[in-house]
Amino acid sequence: MAAKRVIPCLDVKDGRVVKGIKFQNLRDMGHPAELACRYDLEGADEVVFLDISATDEKRATQEAWVREVAHALSIPFTVGGGVSSVEGIRRLLRAGADKVGINTAAVNNPRLIAEAADVFGRQCVVVAIDAARDPKLGWRVFVNGGKKPTDLDAVAWMDQVAELGAGEILLTSIDRDGTLEGFDLELLQKAGRLSIPVIASGGAGTEMHFLEALQHGADAVLAATLFHEGTLPIPKLKTFLASQGVSVRR
Amino acid sequence: MITLIDYGAGNLHSLEGALDRLGFPHTRAERPSEAAPSGALVLPGVGHFHAAQMALQSRGWWRDMPQMVADGRPLLGICLGLQLLAEGSEESPKDSGLGLIPGIARRLGPGVKVPLMGWAQVQQQSSHPALPDPKGGWLYFVHSYALETDVETIYTAFHGRTFSAVKARGRVLGFQPHPEKSGPFGLVLLQKTLNWMGETSIDFQEEACN
Repeated sequence: MAAKRVIPCLDVKDGRVVKGIKFQNLRDMGHPAELACRYDLEGADEVVFLDISATDEKRATQEAWVREVAHALSIPFTVGGGVSSVEGIRRLLRAGADKVGINTAAVNNPRLIAEAADVFGRQCVVVAIDAARDPKLGWRVFVNGGKKPTDLDAVAWMDQVAELGAGEILLTSIDRDGTLEGFDLELLQKAGRLSIPVIASGGAGTEMHFLEALQHGADAVLAATLFHEGTLPIPKLKTFLASQGVSVRR
Repeated sequence: MITLIDYGAGNLHSLEGALDRLGFPHTRAERPSEAAPSGALVLPGVGHFHAAQMALQSRGWWRDMPQMVADGRPLLGICLGLQLLAEGSEESPKDSGLGLIPGIARRLGPGVKVPLMGWAQVQQQSSHPALPDPKGGWLYFVHSYALETDVETIYTAFHGRTFSAVKARGRVLGFQPHPEKSGPFGLVLLQKTLNWMGETSIDFQEEACN
């Protein structure tokens, strides 16, 4: 049976890793390949990179660091952030990314999901969804880095992207992101009935939070701060999950 | 010298990175005429069975690969590469595979999430001179279709049902998982396979990430 995955997320700006807390107070943390390798050796199952560079600055640096990461890493990695076309996806896959995350562009043009899945196979298409609780919709989808609300019901949108050909959903709770108060378990429960894997993101603060997320339908758990700060080392988290009967790779 | 078959199916960087870390000399070839004069061929692959087959046909590989194997060249298929070496796939029922390894790739499931994207344990079904008993070691899989198990299955994995994780016939060997994406254990398997195929590493670096 597939192991539950533990995934650190690195924010990259202009070819350097930065750490974002609620998308603010950026600080430089080093080279993507260097930091990702630290996680590779620690036993991370994958790495997700979110490139938050402005679009025009991006091209020059992005291919270079993605290629370096592909060369250095012995585990899979996903690159997302500002990807908006089949051509953009092709560029990242050619540079060595295993999967590409699309978010705002998928909302603006849902056909992109189907096109990408047709051309590259659905296994490399990760649709990232930023969702916040909403009195009317239950959960509302936000785009542009979680800043701009849309009319989309997040649960309905998850169904739609799975139907269109997404291979995986990276589901971030905007309400919980950076709070360390735990994942939005109700949202995960809604996602857990999908036929494609779901990565839970936003809110992890303790090892118990990860366990809860995996018990509420997540196939993988993602965090940034907790891992970057060394508050919860990945080997310690995996030992805990295994002790609770979760199947993890060790 | 290892020849990586480059038919535009995306990512060769990870594989090249793994071979560099293991110290194996390698080259890319878009066409059979560009292949190294001898040594192992590696057929990687992601994407759709039909698209990959068309690309291999247009670059002359589909025609030449069976002859190269008949001439004694070892061939390693990875992921979709393995499925292309088999007899066919439910993903594209009208196309046939190269038939160098028996079996037809059938869709995973029902009752499990497809594609399988992630780490699964492998067990030995039959012994093979290239590969150790994996004893439940973890490898990274990304696929929707898989070959059934039969007498040529070396390793099995389980996702809804038991399927072939490694199959071999003669000097043709295929991995359904990605050994180049499977941490230190995957690299060891890749190294042992290539050694068995007659390749020698010249500068083996024990640690990843250097």
